[in-house]
Amino acid sequence: MTLKSEIHKKNLEKIFYPDSVAIIGANKVRGTVPHDILANILKADFNGIVFPVSPREKFISGIKSYQYVVDINDPVDLAILVFPSSVCHMALEQCGQKGIKSAIIISAGFKEVGGEGIEREKQIKAIADKYDMSFIGPNCLGVINTDPSSRINASFARKMPEEGTIGFLSQSGALCTAVLDYAQAKHIGFSKFISFGNKADISEIDLLYYLKDDPKTKVILMYLEEVSDGIALMKAAQDVISTSGKPILILKSGRTSEGASAAASHTGSLAGSDEICDAAFKQSGIIRCSNIEEMFNIAIAFAYQPPPKTNNIAIITNAGGPGVLTTDAAIHDGLKLAAFSEETTAILKKNLPKTANIKNPVDVIGDARADRYNIALTSAFNDPAVDAVFVILTPQSMTDIDLIAREIAKVSSHYKKPVYTSFMGAADVQEGIDVLQRNKIPHYSLPESMSKAVATVYKFNQQKHDIVKKERIFNDLKPEIAKEILNNAIAKNIGYLTEETALKVLGAYGLPVLESYLANTPDKAVQYAEKIGFPVVMKVMSEDIVHKFDVGGVVLNIQNNDDARTAYETILKNVQTKQPGAKLKGVLVTKMISSGEEVILGLKRDPSFNSVIMFGLGGIFVEIFKDVSFRIAPVDEISATSMINEIKSSAILKGARGKAVSDIQSIVESIMRLSKLATDCPQIKELDINPLIVLEEGKGCYIADAKIMVLTNSK
Amino acid sequence: MEKSDVQKQVISVVAKVLKMDASEISPDANFIFDLGADSMQSLELIAGFEEEFNIEMDEDKALAVQTVSDAVEFIYNYL
Repeated sequence: MTLKSEIHKKNLEKIFYPDSVAIIGANKVRGTVPHDILANILKADFNGIVFPVSPREKFISGIKSYQYVVDINDPVDLAILVFPSSVCHMALEQCGQKGIKSAIIISAGFKEVGGEGIEREKQIKAIADKYDMSFIGPNCLGVINTDPSSRINASFARKMPEEGTIGFLSQSGALCTAVLDYAQAKHIGFSKFISFGNKADISEIDLLYYLKDDPKTKVILMYLEEVSDGIALMKAAQDVISTSGKPILILKSGRTSEGASAAASHTGSLAGSDEICDAAFKQSGIIRCSNIEEMFNIAIAFAYQPPPKTNNIAIITNAGGPGVLTTDAAIHDGLKLAAFSEETTAILKKNLPKTANIKNPVDVIGDARADRYNIALTSAFNDPAVDAVFVILTPQSMTDIDLIAREIAKVSSHYKKPVYTSFMGAADVQEGIDVLQRNKIPHYSLPESMSKAVATVYKFNQQKHDIVKKERIFNDLKPEIAKEILNNAIAKNIGYLTEETALKVLGAYGLPVLESYLANTPDKAVQYAEKIGFPVVMKVMSEDIVHKFDVGGVVLNIQNNDDARTAYETILKNVQTKQPGAKLKGVLVTKMISSGEEVILGLKRDPSFNSVIMFGLGGIFVEIFKDVSFRIAPVDEISATSMINEIKSSAILKGARGKAVSDIQSIVESIMRLSKLATDCPQIKELDINPLIVLEEGKGCYIADAKIMVLTNSK
Repeated sequence: MEKSDVQKQVISVVAKVLKMDASEISPDANFIFDLGADSMQSLELIAGFEEEFNIEMDEDKALAVQTVSDAVEFIYNYL
């Protein structure tokens, strides 16, 4: 932890639990931010002292007002700045002089407006650093803490949310107001609610660490527009999840392919910012959500109920169709229908009508009232094979919706197993839904949403212990060789390493390079081919030629000396015709691997996540099929294996349709070695190993072609 | 017109627009931070200065002026 993050940690406590607050720039004009923030603090029954600070007012809302914050004789824990941005630095400077360590800067007009705003933001950051202060914002909605020991609504949101166990962080203030409204309608409560705006000082990373240790928070939700330090975010997420077990759900906007367009390699072109973000989140245990509804669907499953111990569920329904829909969704999401015990079956048989389905999914039949739901629910909870219960209800004329909802709340309160509900419909079922929501029983308008949320909770709890990386240590690496080649290329401003040089870099990290020789005469080519053993491959080597096939610079499957000589001459002739200006280094002679599956490994630099490793099915169509997976280096064995399992065509490697099983373990090792090269050698901008030819299980894999782009001074 | 005269008139306009006693207004005072001018009052101040000195100011530049002494300097350049 850095010194600054230690300071933030200490100062954040006073942002959420201040004994006294100064609202700097307060006024009496209703409907303005300065007025509403003071009004919200007073309305929320804040457990502390409030000091309005206003240049001209003597009293605001009946409370004595001060011209300057330094005029207040008592200590002030938290300053909330609502002045226009042009004078925020003056107010913050006075806060520093007063000894205030924590602030929230609500005001807009900083980095987000560009120009002078950028300078203003630097100015307030410098003041905060000078006084060891910490601030949230600027350009934010503010902060809410529902903990009864504080109850501070230091925001200009319209409402104070209910108390709850969800910690919500947002880069967008406007989204916060929509989320608060959404949550209020569903009785979703929050522990802490934070709009962090421009994150000029306190960032989402600091807030994640704060919520990790916050006893009132069980689940962390975040809305992010940009990931400024991806590596720090990943580390924070891993720390939070591995030490506290709290899930982190992120809604990240900006799913564009920008940044991938100007790449020189397959990896560069396939690894867009969103794909990289996806991979990074997955790798660090973050649950990425695609919209607010999905985020809260999952959040309430985490927040309201204990996680299911296994994926064995029971479904209770009063309608066949919805029961089948729920079953389909559950199976699709990786859940299982529990096999009921004989005892459960006997109780259901005895107490439910003959027409009822007493097997899982249990159909209590359309005319079921609360008593039948009670029997089915109690039996399911009591069955040791059941670890979670899904309750479905459709509103039929005799369905006592409200009573059934109360029955579910009552029965489930006696058990430690989770229950989830879907009262399907909208108008008629609303009263019952309200009962469920008030009783913190997760409710979903669709069973599919319920199934997805529960499956997410189950998978998270299964995988949360695997997110700490266990990087393998290789003892046979020769980083000095790779670094020397790369530094030499940088010194000479060579942006592209020929395959022959690239193979030396890869070989230094123990990646499976084939025996190869650079020939500069036809005789040498023949000599090397004999030494390697036929069949061989010949490829032109030139720093000016990135795509060798395009200029006729590759001849495959050369079987004898005559063919070798002819191939050498053909390559030179082709290149001279198609790219006459290219400066040639020679022709590379390597062994021809004629069998095996072609896969691609790659590396790309990302400004936020640094080293991105790619794996996929290889060949020239890799950019068309886009069947690839990504991880952020360092990649451990678990992540490398999941990269392979994740692609659609992994079945081919596992021996689909009578094919031999490929040596997957050798790919895993290659991914880990490439990851090590990526973290050790920041000089590499992009890298493709395409194809890596994977032989049958136990026989390894070999690099058939590779290219490395170097991060030169001019790029 | 001398700068000291401009200052007196500027303070007089500020006092009138912000409904303050002229003795409470120091030359170093920041319109927002010290005198509590809001955005509407900032516009009223510009109008007041234009009328007082019979000048027409660039509104964007005038709004960027933060203190009484800066306003004096700004207006003096128009005279």
